[in-house]
Amino acid sequence: MMPWIESFQRPTTIPEALQLVRRGGRRARFVAGATDVLVQADPSTRILVDVTRLKLNYIKRQGKGWAIGAATTMAALEQSKEMQRLADGILAQAAATCGSVQNRNLATIGGNLANASPAADSAPPLLVLDAEVVMVGPKGRRRLPLTKFFRGVRKTALNGALLVEVFIPPLPKGRAAWSFHKLARLASDISVVNAAVGLGLDGKGNCQWARIALGAVAPTPFRLLEVEKRLQGKRLDRALVEQACAQVGEQVRPITDVRSTSSYRREMSGVLVRRALLECAEGMGHKL
Amino acid sequence: MSKELASVGKRVRKVDGVKLVTGRPAFTDDIHLPGLLYGKILPSPHAHARIKRIDTRKALALPGVVAVLTWKDVPRVPHTTAGQSWPEPSPYDTYLLDNKVRFVGDRVAAVAAESRALAEEALRLIKVDYEVLPAVLDMEQADAPGAPVIHDEPDSRGIHDAAHNIAGHILKEIGSVEEGFRQADLIFEHEYRTPRVQHCSIEPHVTIAWLDEDNRLVLRTSTQVPYHTRRQVAMILQIPVQRVHVIKPRIGGGFGGKQEMLLEDICGALALATRRPVKMELTRHEEFFMSRSRHPQILRVKLGIKRDGTILANQMTVLATTGAYGSHCNTVQGNTGQKVLPIYRASHQRFECKVVYTNMPVAGAFRGYGCPQGYFALESAADEIAHTLGLDPVEFRHKNIIRLGDIDELSAVLGEGRRGLPRHIRSCGLPECLDRGAATIGWSRKRHAHEVPGKPHLRRGVGMACSMQGSAIAGVDWAAALLKMNEDGSFNLQVGATDLGTGSDTVIAQIAAEALGVSVDKMIVTSSDTDFTPFDVGAYASSTTIISGGAAKKAAELVRGQILEAASKMLEVPPDKLTCRDNRVVTVCECEKSVTMEEVALYAMYTLKHQIMANASHFNTDSPPPFCAQFAEVEVDTETGQVQVLELVTAVDLGVAINPLQAEGQVEGAVAQSLGYALSEEMLFDPQGRMTNASFTDYKMFTAKDMPKLTTLLVETEEPLGPYGAKSIAEVPINAPAPAVANAIFNAIGVRFHKLPIRPEDVLRALREKQSGQKAEAPRPRRRNRVAVAK
Amino acid sequence: MSRLEIKLKVNGRSRSFAIAPGEVLLDVLRREGYHGVKRGCETGECGACTVLVDGRAINSCLMFAAQADGCSLLTIEGIAQGDRLDPIQEAFLDTGAVQCGFCTPGMILNTKALLERSPQPTETEVRDMLAGNFCRCTGYTKPIEAVLTAAILVGGLKGSRTASTAKRKPR
Repeated sequence: MMPWIESFQRPTTIPEALQLVRRGGRRARFVAGATDVLVQADPSTRILVDVTRLKLNYIKRQGKGWAIGAATTMAALEQSKEMQRLADGILAQAAATCGSVQNRNLATIGGNLANASPAADSAPPLLVLDAEVVMVGPKGRRRLPLTKFFRGVRKTALNGALLVEVFIPPLPKGRAAWSFHKLARLASDISVVNAAVGLGLDGKGNCQWARIALGAVAPTPFRLLEVEKRLQGKRLDRALVEQACAQVGEQVRPITDVRSTSSYRREMSGVLVRRALLECAEGMGHKL
Repeated sequence: MSKELASVGKRVRKVDGVKLVTGRPAFTDDIHLPGLLYGKILPSPHAHARIKRIDTRKALALPGVVAVLTWKDVPRVPHTTAGQSWPEPSPYDTYLLDNKVRFVGDRVAAVAAESRALAEEALRLIKVDYEVLPAVLDMEQADAPGAPVIHDEPDSRGIHDAAHNIAGHILKEIGSVEEGFRQADLIFEHEYRTPRVQHCSIEPHVTIAWLDEDNRLVLRTSTQVPYHTRRQVAMILQIPVQRVHVIKPRIGGGFGGKQEMLLEDICGALALATRRPVKMELTRHEEFFMSRSRHPQILRVKLGIKRDGTILANQMTVLATTGAYGSHCNTVQGNTGQKVLPIYRASHQRFECKVVYTNMPVAGAFRGYGCPQGYFALESAADEIAHTLGLDPVEFRHKNIIRLGDIDELSAVLGEGRRGLPRHIRSCGLPECLDRGAATIGWSRKRHAHEVPGKPHLRRGVGMACSMQGSAIAGVDWAAALLKMNEDGSFNLQVGATDLGTGSDTVIAQIAAEALGVSVDKMIVTSSDTDFTPFDVGAYASSTTIISGGAAKKAAELVRGQILEAASKMLEVPPDKLTCRDNRVVTVCECEKSVTMEEVALYAMYTLKHQIMANASHFNTDSPPPFCAQFAEVEVDTETGQVQVLELVTAVDLGVAINPLQAEGQVEGAVAQSLGYALSEEMLFDPQGRMTNASFTDYKMFTAKDMPKLTTLLVETEEPLGPYGAKSIAEVPINAPAPAVANAIFNAIGVRFHKLPIRPEDVLRALREKQSGQKAEAPRPRRRNRVAVAK
Repeated sequence: MSRLEIKLKVNGRSRSFAIAPGEVLLDVLRREGYHGVKRGCETGECGACTVLVDGRAINSCLMFAAQADGCSLLTIEGIAQGDRLDPIQEAFLDTGAVQCGFCTPGMILNTKALLERSPQPTETEVRDMLAGNFCRCTGYTKPIEAVLTAAILVGGLKGSRTASTAKRKPR
């Protein structure tokens, strides 16, 4: 309940939505599934602009990639046959861990990203998928890699713009496997650490490319580029995986909070990345 | 069982089930009253402070705010909020509102306004000047020299030593533990710690108060103790009991959290002040720190054991904190001794406990009532001793457990805040519970199989623990039932017994139906309403089936006598040649005559001009313990420290199960709460005493996804003191899952945990320590430094 | 603050409610007499306020009432056909899945949505669904059994399943 809300607008076009928020200034806020807006219940928010009627609820082919409307719910992602197949289903799996069935029926991909929680479960899979976000603002439409979208804890590059779409570019060619891992205190819970990994191997077991992203261990979900570089071009064996995972611990900047401690999160970052890498290798039939 | 029973022992549906599955307006908040105001409490932001000045003018000036109450506006009556029989064995250290606050969340003021939003707005407008006082948050510091005194007010009473923040102290001994330790071959001693956890009934505390057309104060409230609440509210508001009417509708769970007069007094005060209906409901956030919790304890156990495993001396020394007020402080902690130590037949037993005040949220009654703490310590110790002696933990229990025919003498010296009564064991299925539980989980096989094929980072293990409880407080708890026959052969069964979701309406109806020879659907159960149902202490201490059920059985037997009298006149057969069966009165002689209950009722009402009805009261001078053995299988991830419980088997001697379906449900729910106690639940606080995880997002209870496979074995015995042989079931299964899990973790990875909850971080750290320790000490087997061979 | 009017269907009946712009669906439904919608946490964790909006289970404490405009709602009050209980309700009663009953309406509605989507759910699916409905009484064993039993009853009514599949192995 937010009794201080003065106006709840339900525009049907994007320009109308943008205008409403612009007119409201700091007092206005976009709302989609409302699962974060209502829990945060920010008393400075007086005007809500609903974006669920802007026809942003879709999962569709775009060129060789995928375009996902920002108002697509976690439940839709989780149940989408295409998303269950895409990249071994890591995005669908992550969506399926975003709270309860009831919340997944409301929570949207756009909301999950725009809320910019360090622990957002959809972020690591999208980061390793090299996803881009499409924003529409007063100055028009722009596209940004997701890596540049997160600016800090609950801070994004939106700056009054509306997140309208998430674009997943075509996946790398060749032999590849993907993995998503989440560690939480209990099965249905906010992540203590979440990790996504994509791995491309050649026929000899050499790492063609690796993409690694972690959540809940830094102010924003992020890609571990140095670790990825260390793996690239080398034969994937136990020793390499262990080296990479040791390096993971150096890349994270976790905090201690009610959910876990900094040192535990640091250590688990390495464990999850190792498990994800091993799962990818196994998925490609590569024995370590 | 001596004879075939028609209702008792049957898996019948809940008598109140249909209204619950159809969402009928059955709960406290499911009514609309015209002119209803919304009441809110201003909680203290400080752990310890004196209110220097409080200015309510701005709040009162806000349109829609009808009343603001501060300590200046209400009577000052020392009392306890513990819903216990008068005189309550808890200190009278609480005030409706006070000029001192003693924990973050303590009452500062109360408002009533036209809406919830206005009430919340009004709270922000109350200006309070606090003199912030040093606070004591750590129970180990509470009685240190120079510690701030939490209860320095002169008018509180019943506090053991207010100047040193000691709310209560207990020291009881049978035999001489020192003598026992002298005779022992082994002395085992260790310390255990248990967390502050909460009931988390899904329905929060909620009360609606109004003045009826006779100017009486009506309290429709989510309570386990309607009668105690009536008495306490009358005393606190200084109005006659006659002027208070408490209605308990359906309750959305209590688990002890509602064995407490929590909102009724302040809500009643607002209704009296405004002369309008007022509703108060805690939000989930408030619920966490403004209601009650389980007492955290630091327990030191010391046992003297003979080489063959016989326990000679059993000593437990406990430090507990009750938080800022002493609700249930003596009795919960007394139970930690009284219902825990006697499970083993040691001739020397000693229990000492100090309960201290801290500037923390208030602890109170919580299912198990002191036993989950005690059994975590004792049953962890028992496992460790068995391991040291090379005995199987099940064998060790068989050797030492209390048996049929034993007399527990500790209960004689350690009663509910007073001298107690010796406990005679007239029924005991614990040996069978141990054996059947072990067989069901595959104990002997799984004890030594720790590997998971293909998953070298996983280790499995099994562990067990056992426990007992009571069935009502001996010589204290009592109940009455009123049974009235209607002209269609149905019955009004009016009981003060307080069904809070436990199914007691159903169980009591089954008992009465059995005694009357009628089907359960003939019972119209009303529970409970202080105007219309007779007295009952309320739903606590595992008392309802044995005590309230006992009263219902007596009342039903009296009514049965009247039915037979009437039928005897109708059939012209002497009453002793008649019996009640299948909703009829039938002859037991060869003449084979019968009348229906409906015919009897009509005859009694319109021919005899007699209302067939009776009331009866019941109490016991003994508290027959139910017994329980619980077995857990766990899987430990040695890389993450995460513990997954794979299976939990409960074998429980509950006497005769009146309703096995509901009995299983009680077990399963208790196990879920105890698994949270073991692994995930804990109220956390910052250094200022503010709770940091006061939400369901961060206070982690097991969900359907976390729960393991549960198996419940009802090991029935026949208890002579219980109706149809019943004892109790609600509390006993909450005691042993946590130590069983801890013992299973030891079996899996060889690491002991002496503190709950066992978090992944702790498991990982302990594994590291063990590995480094083994490296340092290898290859010599590690000697357990906590167990010394005496002399 | 201006009040809004929303038009929606509740349990098949067209209704229009005057609401405040910041109100959540939970508060509106309870005010309008749908008391089977329970308030347990108001942060979307406990699921006691579950209702179906256009067939999807949602927590009504986390949905602005304004967003329900034009939607079709099902609450617990609309599940039974007069005095005839829905098979899901029967299953909850028969398996002992109801204790205090406060979380039960939410569980039943969530079950209804699950069985529409997945008429023969696995136990894993059932557990995932029930993870959205906190229950402090039952330990979930009997609710899980209730949902699996309900699947058979509902399937049986549709003529697609037989009672012989009633016994399912627990996890």
